[in-house]
Amino acid sequence: MEEQLNSRYVELNMGPQHPSTHGVLRLKLLLDGETVKNVEPIIGYLHRNAEKICELDYYCDSLIYFDRMDYVAAMNMEVGYLEAAEKLLAIEPPERVKWIRVIMAELNRLASHLVWAGAFGLDLGMITPFFYFFEEREKILNLFTEICGSRQETNYMSIGGVYQDFNDKIIFKIKQFLKQFPKKMEEAYSLFIKNDIFISRTKGIGILEPEVALSYGVTGPMLRASGVPYDVRKDAPYLVYDKLNFDIPISRGKDVLARCIVRFEEMRQSVKILNQALDKIPDGPYFNPKAKKSLMIRLRGEGDVYARTESPKGEFGVHLVGDGTVKPYRLHVRSPAFKNLSILPFLARDVLIADMVAISGSIDLVFGEVDR
Amino acid sequence: MPYEVKEEAGKDGRKIFLIQKENLLELMTDLRKQGYDHLSLITAVDFRDRIELVYHLQKSASNFELLTVRTVTYDSTIDSVTSIWESANWDEREQYDMMGVVFRGHPNLKRILLPEGWVGYPLRKDYDLSKNQYVNMDDEGNDRVSFDPGDGW
Repeated sequence: MEEQLNSRYVELNMGPQHPSTHGVLRLKLLLDGETVKNVEPIIGYLHRNAEKICELDYYCDSLIYFDRMDYVAAMNMEVGYLEAAEKLLAIEPPERVKWIRVIMAELNRLASHLVWAGAFGLDLGMITPFFYFFEEREKILNLFTEICGSRQETNYMSIGGVYQDFNDKIIFKIKQFLKQFPKKMEEAYSLFIKNDIFISRTKGIGILEPEVALSYGVTGPMLRASGVPYDVRKDAPYLVYDKLNFDIPISRGKDVLARCIVRFEEMRQSVKILNQALDKIPDGPYFNPKAKKSLMIRLRGEGDVYARTESPKGEFGVHLVGDGTVKPYRLHVRSPAFKNLSILPFLARDVLIADMVAISGSIDLVFGEVDR
Repeated sequence: MPYEVKEEAGKDGRKIFLIQKENLLELMTDLRKQGYDHLSLITAVDFRDRIELVYHLQKSASNFELLTVRTVTYDSTIDSVTSIWESANWDEREQYDMMGVVFRGHPNLKRILLPEGWVGYPLRKDYDLSKNQYVNMDDEGNDRVSFDPGDGW
């Protein structure tokens, strides 16, 4: 007690219930006046141990726990799990399914980045962009409702296929959405980028050098904003990404503003991918008969595989070990947000509290995924 | 090389290095010098009598090509690689938390997802799932874990 009174530093808890911690992150701050001297992130408040639950379930049942990891990008999580599971069980999805999965994953990438943009605006004290972005996101979720029957935790894909086929009406509706989306997005984007206060709050804050980022295992838009062009969709293509024409945006700004710009450019690229995929989607079956519903729980896998995919937060990896039974022996998830969060103590040293909020906002944290 | 590396191809075509655990640190240091600057993931698999550690490395200079390093420990201890990659810090803490692997030389080896004082390591195959543990907070603000249902939230 005596020690605390005489010290010039103050210890302060931020969270777990705090609007700008995006869920249940608790930060133990050591403050000198308004300057942050040290940050200790404390996580685990949303921990459910999905890895253990998956070990106790059939291969096909594990999917719903992936929906609940990154709950704003459930489709990308499903794609990540199925990449690993289908490799292990040696089941190849039909061609049409691959295109459907790309379309759904990219739509959800848009939705996830829109949530991030809205929440990031709130972190910096702007409430208006939030409504613009969430209006667009709502349209995507309405499309999901029509396709799979639920909004966020979609449970749409299954091993070797998808739950329901696309029809012309859906493709028409997605095209309609894409027609009006870029204009609306640019309008809301200008609220960010043409705002002097926003620029001065983000420019030059949270500089992250590429070597440091690589050493900490940072991936996704955060790494690309530091100038490293790593995107699994390009470097190790899965599904049909090698047949699509798109660019990987990078920035040399390395700061919070650069991360914002990279994410918006990614949204434009997603629109480009979607437009191509909707035109090219082939006809055919929407599930592999080897994995039809009655055979699903009898699928057996042996050996170990590692599959990586690009989720909106970064490299989402699934390490799956099978022992020849109907249940996985071990499943480990590489959560990109978990690795990206580990750099916060490094970035938020000797910055103001308000800047630390901007930095933690720019990481794009979703706690279902960090804590699993 | 002063140590022996066995090389094999994985089921999905990736390169796998098998190494004795005594030589892990040397191999990792060499790989870091060869340009593997991104440690993507550390994971552990419990085979009841032994624990297998799996490291996924990537090389940023050649399109983040994947390399897997596997090693086996019989006494649940292994050398920490935090001195080579910073990202090993949280990964090793997670494996300690979930699997009970003790990483020698780790600067801050404590539980990360579960509260301090949790009994057992959940991802071990012999973990008792039938016993509930309840978490509450003591007067100091620290987590307190007990088996008494009346003590939970």
